Amino acid sequence: MFCLSEMEDTVRVPPDLLKLPLEVAIKKVLQKLLLNKVLSIGLCVTIYDIKSAEGGFVLPGDGPATYKVRFRIVVFRPFVGEVIAARFKESDSNGLRLTLGFFEDIYVPAPLIPRPNRCEPDPYNRSQMRWVWIFEEQEYIIDHSCQINFRVENISYPPVPTEQAEDAKPFAPMVITGTIDDDGLGPVSWWEGCSERNNEDDDT
Amino acid sequence: KEREKREKLRIRFPSAMSGEEEENAAELKIGDEFLKAKCLMNCEVSLILEHKYEQLQQVSEDPMNQVSQVFEKSLQYVKRFSRYKNPDAVRQVREILSRHQLTEFELCVLGNLCPETAEEAVAMVPSLKTKGRAHSDEAIEKMLNDLSLVKRFE
Repeated sequence: MFCLSEMEDTVRVPPDLLKLPLEVAIKKVLQKLLLNKVLSIGLCVTIYDIKSAEGGFVLPGDGPATYKVRFRIVVFRPFVGEVIAARFKESDSNGLRLTLGFFEDIYVPAPLIPRPNRCEPDPYNRSQMRWVWIFEEQEYIIDHSCQINFRVENISYPPVPTEQAEDAKPFAPMVITGTIDDDGLGPVSWWEGCSERNNEDDDT
Repeated sequence: KEREKREKLRIRFPSAMSGEEEENAAELKIGDEFLKAKCLMNCEVSLILEHKYEQLQQVSEDPMNQVSQVFEKSLQYVKRFSRYKNPDAVRQVREILSRHQLTEFELCVLGNLCPETAEEAVAMVPSLKTKGRAHSDEAIEKMLNDLSLVKRFE
């Protein structure tokens, strides 16, 4: 879920920004430093506010002014055990990949898909495999038609690779492993009529 | 009017945390790197990000260029997955949930997923029923009923 986190850090404001109002300058430096990055507290979405800034001293021989800044940021931080609403992104023989739009490294491995099930080539997309849950002789295809609720089983933070092959997948600093094998999880259509629970707007 | 809007947002996040909230932060088992953390519901994040976007619109002709992909897509996500749209409704939702001895985390999961029955609520937040907690099905149903009375669109 999203959290509002208060942090304290030392911020160096380069000389070319010092002509701006202090709050604006500090925000610019923080944004560059933090936004879109995954810190230990989560994926940074936006600076919420600057609570205080002390200092402003320019060290001898050093152009930037240094401030001790207290500020709040909005982060996305998953919790193990948290149930999150997501959409289907793609699937293969290993399992499903789900997406939140702003975060796409969510994987539901085959053992966490309810059984009995089968994995077959997707007739609508030859490069994909699709998963089908079989329950009481009914077949439930897992695809992009509905919101999919999953529960966070594990969160990992792979170390930054020192080198990457040219065709390697882009580095994912945070990876969520999820399950859909429990009451209320999986496509919401499994639990009621297939309508978005929250928003009545059409899918975009 | 701008100041009124800002005041509304400010009221929701008091700068000093009460003792109860500090306890909840400890329950979240967050490291020491940051001082305090508060869980936000998607509808609260939606108000925050929309407000930020409006501020940008005032200073720039092309606000979309100013915001990062993560900001833009987060805004899309929380708008889609928020049941409550206006600040008063959002405040009411937090008030109602706050009356039911929930942790910050539990409050936000319920506020985000909007279960319709006690059974659904417990499936989403099993900790409601761990021993020592007094959440009877009646209490949960009452809470969900109070939530359903909050006007979604105004």
